[in-house]
Amino acid sequence: MTDLDAATREALAELLLTLADDEFVLGFWDSEWTGIAPMLEEDVATSSIAQDEIGHAKAWYELLAELTDDDADRIAYGREPEGYRHAALMNHPRTDWAFTVARRFLYETADAVRLEALSQSSHPEIAGLAAKMRREETYHLLHWSAWMRRLADSLETRSRLVTALERLGPDAEAIFTPLAGEAALVSAGILPDGLATLRAAWHERMAIELRGLGLPVPSVDAPPPTEGRTQRTDDFRWLWGEFTSVARADPGASW
Amino acid sequence: MPERVWEVFRQEAEGDPFIHGGSVNAPDEELAMHYAREFYGRRQESVRLWVVPREAIVELDDPDLLQPPFDRSFKRPGGYLIKHKLEAARERAGSPAGGSEPEGEA
Repeated sequence: MTDLDAATREALAELLLTLADDEFVLGFWDSEWTGIAPMLEEDVATSSIAQDEIGHAKAWYELLAELTDDDADRIAYGREPEGYRHAALMNHPRTDWAFTVARRFLYETADAVRLEALSQSSHPEIAGLAAKMRREETYHLLHWSAWMRRLADSLETRSRLVTALERLGPDAEAIFTPLAGEAALVSAGILPDGLATLRAAWHERMAIELRGLGLPVPSVDAPPPTEGRTQRTDDFRWLWGEFTSVARADPGASW
Repeated sequence: MPERVWEVFRQEAEGDPFIHGGSVNAPDEELAMHYAREFYGRRQESVRLWVVPREAIVELDDPDLLQPPFDRSFKRPGGYLIKHKLEAARERAGSPAGGSEPEGEA
């Protein structure tokens, strides 16, 4: 797809950056559980899923690097915290297990809708990557849904889960905050549906799951936050310091 | 969270026998399957897994049944050496030793 006009290329770069940063930052937050998850088996499962997300981020960063004649590692590790474009959902620290499960549930259901659309993209590489990722995300969805059911099942964990869902809900909406060049992507068929359409599909899917668990369904009348992908927090700045520490120790080193 | 032990058997390729991979702790069948996948399948080393609750396994370890005291080597296929019989038979048939037939013990 070299025949794209400048505006569409710019919009495409923005889309790829949001996809990559969502997966990248979430992968790093969840790898914070390595060594301290509720049990050994879950420790391995959570760490493995976190690694999967970083693998997906790598694929998106590489596609972006190809488009902008940049370097995937440079994009991943070489930006200031304010340059990241993940959704506000990923601004929060790891917190407790219910918080992590709630975030994963919100993210996985949204990502499933997004990848489903992208697998129909007119951009062949995007469509191919999205189709591959959907196969891995099937397991992620199964795993986090299993935990949602477990936590919804007992009184104490249920109240922690509900608190976390209420806290994270508005920031999860930021996954579908409109992108500046979205119209160009939709008309080129790169993004087969606008983010508002995807957001509505996500709400529907999420409501079915939450109702099935007897959990409150959040009100979704407000539009997604306009600064949903640009506002950064001190928690994220701390994480950024962690995940860039090795790259910053010896810039440009070959590993 | 009450946990149970699950034994995991893995198949490396279609048609291969299942071999015991190891065990996982999990509170229920669903998470047992997820953990089995993480421990014995996430590196594409398996095409199929069997996950079995340990208590479903019937164990037999009675030495009177499994290690009887008399010499039972004649019950093993190695108890009969047919290498020389095979060689003699080939000579009679006029075909050279070796060939594609298996050598040695049958």
